[in-house]
Amino acid sequence: MGLFDKLAGWLGLKKKEVNVLCLGLDNSGKTTIINKLKPSNAQTQDIVPTIGFSIEKFKTSSLSFTVFDMSGQGRYRNLWEHYYKEGQAIIFVIDSSDKLRMVVAKEELDTLLNHPDIKHRRIPILFFANKMDLRDAVSSVKVSQLLSLENIKDKPWHICASDDLKGEGLQEGVDWLQDQIQAMKT
Amino acid sequence: PPSPPREIQNDNEAHSKWLDAHYDPVANVYTFSSCIGKFDSLPSSSHESVLLDLPAGVAAFLMEQHEPRTLAVAVASGPFIYVYKNLRPYFKFTLPLLDINPLEKEVWEQAKEDMIDPLTLKEILGRMDPFVNLHKLQSLKRQTVITCMGTLKKNMVDEDAVSCLVIGTESADILILDPEAFTILAKMALPSVPVFLDVMGQFDVEYRLTVACRNGAIYILRRDSKRPRYCVELSSLPVGLVRVHKSIVAACSDQTLQGYTQKGKKLWSVSLPATPTTLSLMDQKSRGFQAVLVGLANLEVHMYRDKNLVNIIRTQDVVNSICFGRYGREDSTLIMTTKGGGLIIKILKRTAVFDGGDTSPGPPIAQSIKLSVPKKTKLYVDQTLRERENAVGECKARTAGHRGCDCCTPSNLVSVGLFSPLTTAACSPAPQLPPSRYCRVPMLVPGLSYPIETYVECLSNKGISDLIKVFVLREGQSAPLLTAHINMPVSEGLIAA
Ligand SMILES: Nc1nc2c(ncn2[C@@H]2O[C@H](COP(=O)(O)OP(=O)(O)OP(=O)(O)O)[C@@H](O)[C@H]2O)c(=O)[nH]1
Ligand SMILES: [Mg+2]
Repeated sequence: MGLFDKLAGWLGLKKKEVNVLCLGLDNSGKTTIINKLKPSNAQTQDIVPTIGFSIEKFKTSSLSFTVFDMSGQGRYRNLWEHYYKEGQAIIFVIDSSDKLRMVVAKEELDTLLNHPDIKHRRIPILFFANKMDLRDAVSSVKVSQLLSLENIKDKPWHICASDDLKGEGLQEGVDWLQDQIQAMKT
Repeated sequence: PPSPPREIQNDNEAHSKWLDAHYDPVANVYTFSSCIGKFDSLPSSSHESVLLDLPAGVAAFLMEQHEPRTLAVAVASGPFIYVYKNLRPYFKFTLPLLDINPLEKEVWEQAKEDMIDPLTLKEILGRMDPFVNLHKLQSLKRQTVITCMGTLKKNMVDEDAVSCLVIGTESADILILDPEAFTILAKMALPSVPVFLDVMGQFDVEYRLTVACRNGAIYILRRDSKRPRYCVELSSLPVGLVRVHKSIVAACSDQTLQGYTQKGKKLWSVSLPATPTTLSLMDQKSRGFQAVLVGLANLEVHMYRDKNLVNIIRTQDVVNSICFGRYGREDSTLIMTTKGGGLIIKILKRTAVFDGGDTSPGPPIAQSIKLSVPKKTKLYVDQTLRERENAVGECKARTAGHRGCDCCTPSNLVSVGLFSPLTTAACSPAPQLPPSRYCRVPMLVPGLSYPIETYVECLSNKGISDLIKVFVLREGQSAPLLTAHINMPVSEGLIAA
């Protein structure tokens, strides 16, 4: 990244635009995470299950994110693939306490990774092992085992344990994503 | 039965349509299909309550119209129905006592007053005196128990409408209970003890009960019918009964799955590779897909759409109860319990589609596929023309040449039971069998068809049709085992001539 860009970035004059897809099963906490990443005056209080998808924007120190917050409900999951082409990064959220549906999350992830619009791209994937505050949540290590993340060889990925309600783990994840995107672009 | 196609067999490998969400071989759940159900609006806390007896069925239903509308769970066990609300005991209903034999009642009354000695009592009752002494002071009652249970909407079709409980009893009755007062709204008598029950319709409007009974019959009752309207005699004892759309499907212990109309007419029957253990409906509402799931003793669960096998699920243990529906957030969850008390939970893949194969009623589609029969060659057409014009001569030539049999004059081939390829030539009014009128037949085994061919001669040229009588006789006996009359058509040879 050139000095001018950095300067412009610090001054908030010009930030790089990135499109991020936020995916994961229904009720995993996607909308809650994105809401937490927005400036506090733009946050909403009540979060309802997303219908179809919604487009949200938030900024980090050097990037301007446009997030496609997709609905995770079964009947809307077929919408996901229509946005794969535009996506430059993926946030995949998992409800770590939903052990029964871990297989469903894995199935959707595998379908995503094998999609022609994703398969051959070095697109960074950030996983949030969310709802860590819940008593029956499994660890982020266990989540990555259950989803066989070690098999993702050709894409940078990272998993963060997170708790939306307290906002824990979110910053770590977004920092990683920002680094990846910048590394990608230069 | 023929083995299923590859794509169905391979299901449990890489391309399974099901995700294995949970398997606990020692979950200690021992139950039957009639005793598992999933109810959306229950609070998800685990709760255990001890029943005195094995449950005969569970049902979730709404009891009242007014708010708050809590879903009630009814558990039938012995002569009782325990009703739970929010998983807490709410109400207990006891089946009314049955009528007592008046004579028995009277003698026991007398025994109580010591007006009758045990010997006379024994004579009347055919019982022993220690028994009499033990019980003579107890009040006399006859109690029946519940064998199966279902729900019936009271007067609205909505998902959340108030429902009546429908119960079958050991005394071969069906009772319909009022949802609030638990009074008996209707009572119907069956010829045998009901074991499986399907309910459809609304109590106040019109309803239909389909009941499989311990005598191996299915009875269909309607509103206002005190007795069964229709009856299906199954080939063996039923293992399960479900209704798919408008047809009734029963799994039977003779390894068959059978489909019937609502009026009890048989639609189809398929043979299963092993003895069925349980039968359950798979109703995927989002797709409008319905099928039946049959648990089998060979560690498989087969999914049938009508008579077509569309999927096979292999299990680690024999499945003895199956329930498909919404569980938690997942619409298409399959919950099964096994003989060893295990619990299996599978989730249908979002993208899974079951190739229903042919879904039309009647014979399999393969039968109506047109075969590519080669066109008639010129040689063939010429030959048939020649045959028609010169039937007698042609036939002679052919029988002599091809069949190598003692030739007969204008003749035709009669085939009893089977289509004969040689029926092209002349045929005979007033026919008579050739000199050898008898055909020796090998040993006949029941259930097989034996094509037996012989030649008949046309004896008159009046151009009328006539009859041939065929007798099947045992050697040395004159009384026929079987007689058949074959109406011979007017001889084509004569018409042509
Ligand atoms: N305990 C706990 N609850 C959370 C957490 N994150 C989200 N939730 C709750 O989970 C529920 C679902 O959150 P959403 O953000 O709507 O989930 P979603 O992934 O957007 O769901 P869809 O829009 O249906 O795909 C809400 O009730 C949140 O309050 C968390 O970290 N811990
Ligand atoms: Mg959402």
